[in-house]
Amino acid sequence: MNLAENVQFIAFAALAVSLIGTALGVVLLDQIVYSAFLLAGVFMSVSGLYVLLNADFVAAAQILVYVGAVNVLILFAIMLVNKQEPFSTLRQQWLRRGVTAVVCVGIFALLSTMVLATPWAIDSTINTTSTIVAIGKHFFSDYLLPFELASVLLLMAMVGAIILARRDFIPDAQQNAAAAEAALMLPERPRDLVEGES
Amino acid sequence: MFKFLQQVGDYAKGTVEAAKYIGQGLSVTFDHMQRRPITVQYPYEKLIPSERYRGRIHYEFDKCIACEVCVRVCPINLPIVDWEMVKVGKKKTKKLNHYSIDFGVCIFCGNCVEYCPTNCLSMTEEYELATYDRHELNYDNVALGRLPYSVNQDPMVTPLREFAYLPKGVVEPHDLPKGSQRAGQRPEDIAAKAPVKTKKSAKAES
Amino acid sequence: MNSGIDLQGSFIQTLTDLGFPQDIAYALWLPLPIVLMVIGAVVGVLVTVWLERKVSAAAQQRIGPEYAGPLGVLQPVADGLKLVFKEDIVTNQADPWLFTLGPALVVIPVILAYIIVPFGQNLLVTDLNVGIFLWIALSSIAPIGLLMSGYSSNNKYSLLGGLRAAAQSISYEIPLALAVLAIVMMSNSLSTIDIVQQQSGYGILGWNIWRQPVGFVIFWIAALAECERLPFDLPEAEEELVAGYQTEYAGMRFALFYVGAYINLVLSALVVSVLYLGGWEFPIPLDRLAGWLNVSETTPWLQVLTASLGIIMTVLKAYLLVFLAVLLRWTVPRVRIDQLLDLGWKFLLPVSLVNLLLTAALKLAFPFAFGG
Repeated sequence: MNLAENVQFIAFAALAVSLIGTALGVVLLDQIVYSAFLLAGVFMSVSGLYVLLNADFVAAAQILVYVGAVNVLILFAIMLVNKQEPFSTLRQQWLRRGVTAVVCVGIFALLSTMVLATPWAIDSTINTTSTIVAIGKHFFSDYLLPFELASVLLLMAMVGAIILARRDFIPDAQQNAAAAEAALMLPERPRDLVEGES
Repeated sequence: MFKFLQQVGDYAKGTVEAAKYIGQGLSVTFDHMQRRPITVQYPYEKLIPSERYRGRIHYEFDKCIACEVCVRVCPINLPIVDWEMVKVGKKKTKKLNHYSIDFGVCIFCGNCVEYCPTNCLSMTEEYELATYDRHELNYDNVALGRLPYSVNQDPMVTPLREFAYLPKGVVEPHDLPKGSQRAGQRPEDIAAKAPVKTKKSAKAES
Repeated sequence: MNSGIDLQGSFIQTLTDLGFPQDIAYALWLPLPIVLMVIGAVVGVLVTVWLERKVSAAAQQRIGPEYAGPLGVLQPVADGLKLVFKEDIVTNQADPWLFTLGPALVVIPVILAYIIVPFGQNLLVTDLNVGIFLWIALSSIAPIGLLMSGYSSNNKYSLLGGLRAAAQSISYEIPLALAVLAIVMMSNSLSTIDIVQQQSGYGILGWNIWRQPVGFVIFWIAALAECERLPFDLPEAEEELVAGYQTEYAGMRFALFYVGAYINLVLSALVVSVLYLGGWEFPIPLDRLAGWLNVSETTPWLQVLTASLGIIMTVLKAYLLVFLAVLLRWTVPRVRIDQLLDLGWKFLLPVSLVNLLLTAALKLAFPFAFGG
């Protein structure tokens, strides 16, 4: 084992521990804000794992998209509706917890058998070509359809957001808007009247 | 379609206009950078207060006749005149015990100085009245009787003239040549030049 | 292109000659550039603080710091020492963990991003494939730290400031990334080294600012917004929010925010100089000059001269931009939050998209001038 391998091993161990720890924290902590902040830790650990796998572009994109955008939006939502509400104790809570545990253990067992059963092609050669070029080539050849579908999906989301933000074009909202505006008017002369006099 | 293009054109025009204004603003800021700093480095340099400066009030106990005019003209009746009637022989006179002004409340309007019949109140050039306790600003007749220490005499301080007292064309108060006088005529020059008003000329004027 | 000076090779060579094994020599080399970069960043902050105070004073016809050292150059050091020795206060109702973690999360990504800033052909911590993209990604972590400190302070001003900061940096990340994308499209690489190389050869005429004037303006506006400099300093607008997310902070924790803001400013200026002002390139192409004077590219003194000139040019360009930022601070009034978001989403975003499309079209039409 030389220096680089040692460093890689230590980095992997640290990242794995932080990944599992933060992920457990997300699930188990009571305060939702802590969960949201720890989620950022999960994303960052995952991006560190990507770096170890020589996928530098994916790692940076992971940070940019998941930490910088998704997680910030989650936090935003939490902080804008920060209603402190204690959990009401449910009847037969143990049943719910038991079912959840069974499902989780099942999924975990499934995934572990999959991990153990798959013959992983371990490639220890270091890829010197630019990963970005490789990703770009794949996007526009073998994965063109998923790529385009994802962009259409994002476009739809964007159009939807714009429509939601510009409510005034929805007709029945417009009728109410006139009444609401009249009630909110200040007892002042309209601007064009004032301008007409001078 | 055409209307949309018009809108885009207007928007672009507005953008260019805004950029132009920001550029103008930047040039103004840049121009200011070359200007002389107007700083007076306070504890080491001080401005000489002008002769009409309304600083802390000076009071002469011996001149005061306890008439309380200062109290009446004061906007808030601030001066405290503590006197009593005493009999000196057959005559009843006022005997002044204490006099005080609270400079924490005083607004330095100068009405008391203006109206004092015996001129026992006067303005000084002292303005450094800071204390640790606001009650220390309540000056009694002893404190009021102290004379301030002039900026010109303080060896630790470089006195600087105010802008109006600088010679013509000079804006830098540092290192003025000795004996340089301010722009315009001094009051004594005006008095010397003025025609002597006799009774006759005054009559002719009216 | 010449390989320039190989500092790493010569360092390891020297140590191996002294009798160290190869591995240990390499391990000794590894932290060196990083430590140098952190020191450089901190010194850069001190210089920037001094510059900001002096330039602000000059713009307002004051003198500025004067007594701490000649021309007050030690004033930032004095400020820093003062902050170190101040009491470290965690407010009673605050969340101590998040309260401590917030400032660190703001500063660490900014310092990390320094690893991609090149000062010369071989003078950078690492020439990453993702280069400039790493900077964009790292700068998107900062809002988390801001939200964290805003939330944990348990103060309405802090929370509002944190929310504003996050909203602001999300809105301005997109035009920033699009402006960078136009540059990347021209140089066919995300690596900062390649971006500078693509601008080299023609001196000042080859710099990207002539090919991307709109991109330069967009990038600079967005960078100012990311740094929360004055026209966009809403998160800490003192008239409305006391000091925004920094309200409850004191001592060293506050100093982290302070240092983070200035490191970010210097970093943005450095990135602008790399992307648009030719990085370490001298305004007159040096290798051509050397060619006319019949000096070989591999002459040692020429290489040393090029390397030191490169560092000086990069820093000079960056500080010119910092100066511009300070000047803008005293020129442009603060925008309102709605104007800020309007500017980001309704002006910069469409303009940067159009800029990107135009760049793509120009690249197809004139592959010689706009990168093949």
